[in-house]
Amino acid sequence: MVRQSFSRIIQLILVLLMLSLATFLLMKLAPGDPVLTILKANEGAVSQSDQEQVREQLGLNLPLVQQYGLWLQGVIQLDLGKSFVNNRAVWDLMMDRLPATVSLTSGAIVVLLLISVPLAILGAKYKGKWPDHLSRLFALIGASIPSFWLGLLLIYAFAFKLNWLPTMGSGNVRHLILPSITLGFVMAPEYIRLLRSGLLDALSQEYVRAARARGIAEWRVIARHALRAALLPVITIFGMSLGALLAGSVVTETLFAWPGLGSMVMEAITQRNYPVIQGYVLLTGVFIVTANVLVDLSYSLLDPRIRSGRGRNV
Amino acid sequence: MSSGIRSQHSKVFFGFILILCAAIFLSGCSQNNGASRSSGSSSEENTSATSVSKDITIIHSLPNDTLDPHNTWITLRAGVTETLLRLDENMKISPWLASDWETKDDRTWVFSIREGIQFQDGTPLDAQAVKASFERGIADSKALAAALKIASMEANGQQLQITTIEPYPAFPTELVHPTTSIISVAAENQMGKEAFNNAPVGTGPFKVTSFTPGSEIHLVRNDDYWDGKAKLNEVTFKFNADANVRTLAFQSKQADIVFHLSPEMLTSIEADNELSVSSVTSLRTHYFTYNPASSSVSDHRVREALDKLIDRDSIVQDIMLGHASPANGPFNASLPFGNREGYQKLDEAGALRLLESAGYTKGSDGKFQKDGKPLTLKLIAFTGVNPELPLIPQVVQSEAAKAGITIEIVSVEYPEVYIADHTDWDMSTSSYLTSPRGDGGSFLNSAYVPGGSYNPANIQVDGLEPILKELNETGDTEKRNEITQQAVTVINKALPHSYIINPNILVGINQRVTDWKPGAEEFYIVTHTLDVK
Repeated sequence: MVRQSFSRIIQLILVLLMLSLATFLLMKLAPGDPVLTILKANEGAVSQSDQEQVREQLGLNLPLVQQYGLWLQGVIQLDLGKSFVNNRAVWDLMMDRLPATVSLTSGAIVVLLLISVPLAILGAKYKGKWPDHLSRLFALIGASIPSFWLGLLLIYAFAFKLNWLPTMGSGNVRHLILPSITLGFVMAPEYIRLLRSGLLDALSQEYVRAARARGIAEWRVIARHALRAALLPVITIFGMSLGALLAGSVVTETLFAWPGLGSMVMEAITQRNYPVIQGYVLLTGVFIVTANVLVDLSYSLLDPRIRSGRGRNV
Repeated sequence: MSSGIRSQHSKVFFGFILILCAAIFLSGCSQNNGASRSSGSSSEENTSATSVSKDITIIHSLPNDTLDPHNTWITLRAGVTETLLRLDENMKISPWLASDWETKDDRTWVFSIREGIQFQDGTPLDAQAVKASFERGIADSKALAAALKIASMEANGQQLQITTIEPYPAFPTELVHPTTSIISVAAENQMGKEAFNNAPVGTGPFKVTSFTPGSEIHLVRNDDYWDGKAKLNEVTFKFNADANVRTLAFQSKQADIVFHLSPEMLTSIEADNELSVSSVTSLRTHYFTYNPASSSVSDHRVREALDKLIDRDSIVQDIMLGHASPANGPFNASLPFGNREGYQKLDEAGALRLLESAGYTKGSDGKFQKDGKPLTLKLIAFTGVNPELPLIPQVVQSEAAKAGITIEIVSVEYPEVYIADHTDWDMSTSSYLTSPRGDGGSFLNSAYVPGGSYNPANIQVDGLEPILKELNETGDTEKRNEITQQAVTVINKALPHSYIINPNILVGINQRVTDWKPGAEEFYIVTHTLDVK
């Protein structure tokens, strides 16, 4: 157990190192000059000597390897650096934005569950009949809609036409509804499909037939026996989407001016604010890796055969 | 594993999901009720209890991560901070926190700080406080340090003497910039840097009550404001980078003032008689830069021909839907230092004559060529922030094609970076705020001097250097305007750029807003006179 955890930690560190190195190189290859942003060159004249001075102060004139080394040294000392634009510590900036992203993530998951579980059950129970067609049509539409378009459509309908909900911003649960639906709706089709096929598979199993034969009510059979077996592959995907969601959904957050990590990094990218982008990528990496670990743990909770070491072949 | 434990796990799991859904659903319902109550009461307020609470919601396009007044424009825009000098309606520099100022020599300035002003924390505004504010700004913002070039300051009562590093007649123009806002350093010392940058203390008519980075600021009236109590009690200042969402928020009456609407959405707004749109002349200019190293456009006649092929009227009407003005130089013609001559109209015949005089002849395919080589130009198009920018090259491309010139458009995200690194281009779209502080000096110095930040193509204009030298040594505004106009005449003759249009800023204003209009400088948004019916 200890050895397993230790190798997991080593793996985690290696993944994060590779990730940060790749981001660092890509950022440097992309066009754009952070010095002009720092000096706010779009607001007025900036001389060449001012630019050189800032470049030197920030170490942007050093060789790439050295720049990366310095950043890494900071990270080891738990210092992610400071934002080029407003001198704030990157860690503080991200922690300011994290709560908003967590609440949006929770909202999106609720929407996702509310949509995908009933539709998948309907689809599986009435396979080939109209509820199944309806659920598949929904999945098809959901999968084809880009999130920014859906977001705009929802704003148009619920904020402008009906005036029920705020168009943008944050503050209370009402602000959370439209962005959560946007995110949850776009993610739902994948889950509907997976869950439906998992359910169909489970419903054809011996033990389900045996349960039915024992006279157990149909909904109980689905909820207690089939759904649980169908959840395993779903949980795997869920781990990945949870990581991505926590990293902030860039488009949705920008559209709704939601003060989360996604809108923060969007701004940082346009400003070529390297320390913020690097910090964000590192945090994203931690989220995704952690989510995957949690998924592994949840397997044993859902399928006792895994916990008892009897393999994962369902 | 026993089935008892298994079913217990599944119960726990499904129970958890059910409770989660129920909790969120119920909280959503209760919030909905609460919210509809509050929205009901706010509409009642609007009609019956206006004297009790007056509030307004404003949406701007630029998100902000901090309210640090020396690193963002937003605190000045939101009426929290003020500067020593300001721009008046005619873009002339006028007193604000400083009642007057004089120059002792070309490096020394003395400002008289207005008496009887208090910061929002109650500390008095004197020269010492202004000095401390500048010192804090210079230490915190590299941009501010580079712009102000302050060598030393001496505070004496209400008199502040500032000495600059070098002769700097344009110094007062820098002091209208939002990032030179005067803040209470005493308040910062008391609150701590982090807290201060979330709720800065200045001298303005409104105080910050809460700030959500990237999303919104809430403001309440500063009852002790020196220039008369503000008419509004509360202001919500939001940001959203998406023009569609801003427009929908305006149309749904969830915002009263909305900046940067897109022209194509105006028709639907105009249909609502509670809403209006103000189209304000901006200080931005869209233009083409010609590559001095290109074999084709280094010929003045070719540049002139291309300039005649730009249909500025069509760009204003068809792309900008009338919300722009044709440009005749780097600065908007309506500014005191703007060029007074008319703009170049579409003149195909004139362009053809010029090309012929430059040695180009039309081949059998109707295309111009010289020494057997067709006249094909590579235009670097800016995909940037303004939606109209990528469309302008297309209009020019089609006019040029009719005349017999092939223009190939290459879209890039940052033309400055591309043209600084490449020589294989002929024209490039550029777009800058050419006079952000009511003065053209900074643009002329950075766009026409080699090494300047707006001069990635390293353009040099013959005969301009002595004029700029004179401009940089002149402090008198009238004289500066005159010299700026002289410089523009020389530049227009050399034609290193083709100035296309000055786009307007489109600001949506709900009819309930009174005593307010947007200015070209986009500095003074929340004011003490701003009111609602």
